[in-house]
Amino acid sequence: MRGLKDKCVLITGGAGGIGLETARRFLAEGARVAILDRDPTACQRARETLPTLSGTLLADVSDANAVKRAFDELDALFGGLDVLINNAGISIRHAFLDITPEEWRSVIDINLNGVFYVAQQAARRMWAGDGGVILNMGSTNGLTGYHYYADYNASKAGVIELTRSMALELGPKVRVNAICPGFILTPMQEAEYTPEMRRAFEVKVPLQRLGTPADVAALFAFLASDEAAFITGQTFVIDGGEIAGGLASQA
Amino acid sequence: MNTLKDKVALITGGASGIGRATAMLFAREGAAVVIADINTEAGQAVEQEIKTAGGKALFVACDVTQARDCQQAVEATVTAFGGLDILFNNAGIVRRADVLTTTEEEWDRVMAVNVKSIFLMSKYAIPHMQRRGGGTIINTSSGWGLKGGRNAVSYCASKGAVTNMTRAMAIDHGPQHIRVNAVCPGDTDTPMLRGEARQLGQPEQEFMAEAAARPLGRYGTPEEIAEAVLFLASDAASYITGAALVVDGGGVA
Repeated sequence: MRGLKDKCVLITGGAGGIGLETARRFLAEGARVAILDRDPTACQRARETLPTLSGTLLADVSDANAVKRAFDELDALFGGLDVLINNAGISIRHAFLDITPEEWRSVIDINLNGVFYVAQQAARRMWAGDGGVILNMGSTNGLTGYHYYADYNASKAGVIELTRSMALELGPKVRVNAICPGFILTPMQEAEYTPEMRRAFEVKVPLQRLGTPADVAALFAFLASDEAAFITGQTFVIDGGEIAGGLASQA
Repeated sequence: MNTLKDKVALITGGASGIGRATAMLFAREGAAVVIADINTEAGQAVEQEIKTAGGKALFVACDVTQARDCQQAVEATVTAFGGLDILFNNAGIVRRADVLTTTEEEWDRVMAVNVKSIFLMSKYAIPHMQRRGGGTIINTSSGWGLKGGRNAVSYCASKGAVTNMTRAMAIDHGPQHIRVNAVCPGDTDTPMLRGEARQLGQPEQEFMAEAAARPLGRYGTPEEIAEAVLFLASDAASYITGAALVVDGGGVA
């Protein structure tokens, strides 16, 4: 992709799954990549897996002060920021009637408040500097209803609207977009699902397979690149066609 | 430069604007490109330009509202280059008028060029893609295929249809490994856009200044839309189908 070489990129939740694969992709594009994650063991593993990482920052995105401190470290590391992949998030499978206030708060704190804390720190630097690109992690769950993830779905709908509003205020210097993956097979899910469970889902998707972290990383790379220079304020679905239709399509 | 190496692409409305920019880009990325357009002179010029630059190209005269023309364009593609991998359904027209001032003939014409053409071209192209084990179709929709706009009722209706037929086609043909997506440009500096100023009886400069009023503070270039089409056509988008990729500088955010 054009224009990613030597860019300074920060990826939250970058120590595993989609975040780690995205780090690998941006490194392959010639960018300088730092990851921010709350898990020190995973950060250590990421440094071993991707020795060319510029740095790993330890922070929980739901802690505004910790995020601020991490960005102070980032300033020392990069002296600026060109691309933010605002990726950190969690989900808990539970029925709406069972959601506890603590669970609700932890999901909203990480998925929505955390996206805001990180985005604001990044945007201030991009606004004061030469501009940049912010890519927020939404989900197809933020676009349609979905069983057993009411808190997660609400957080992702919030991310999508936050994205549009940021694009309006931060243009023309900063482009802001969200991506909405469908079912992506991360190592965590690979361990969690039986082949039968996977197959049952795959047949409902027009492309007949689950997405891979590399699929998502490619979309991040495109949207961050100069090839997407006129794209801002949008949400991009990457789901193998899963939500192209309603129930009628899932024969 | 080899994103589309050994691929064969058919582009309707390839003689000007977004279609032309996409034809040039696809050729630079290694694809053999067929330009289907009603404008022979401009279409042949694009063919020549690509060939001069060392690329593979063929112009086919085609009225995309006619089934026979569409079938011939697909057959000419397969005959010349041995198959078809990428169909870019891009031909389109706009009529800037509301319901009261749009004639029945204008309505039918807009729907035929913008919607029926996609049905016809896909109908003849998909069997060839199936024969290759898959392919990809990109349809040109619009920001006005997602939101309404002023004084363009037939165009808005047609582009709304394009967005949703894209989803329906993605569902039908996903299992055959054919990805179908829409690109939704905002105001882009093309002959069609500048023609809208004339239709509205507005000075071009004033119209273009209004078109630039969006978060990125400018209108788009055909080359920027072409980059998005290339992405959707490439293997980088291998899990993306049934989607609408908006490229509009934040216009409909």
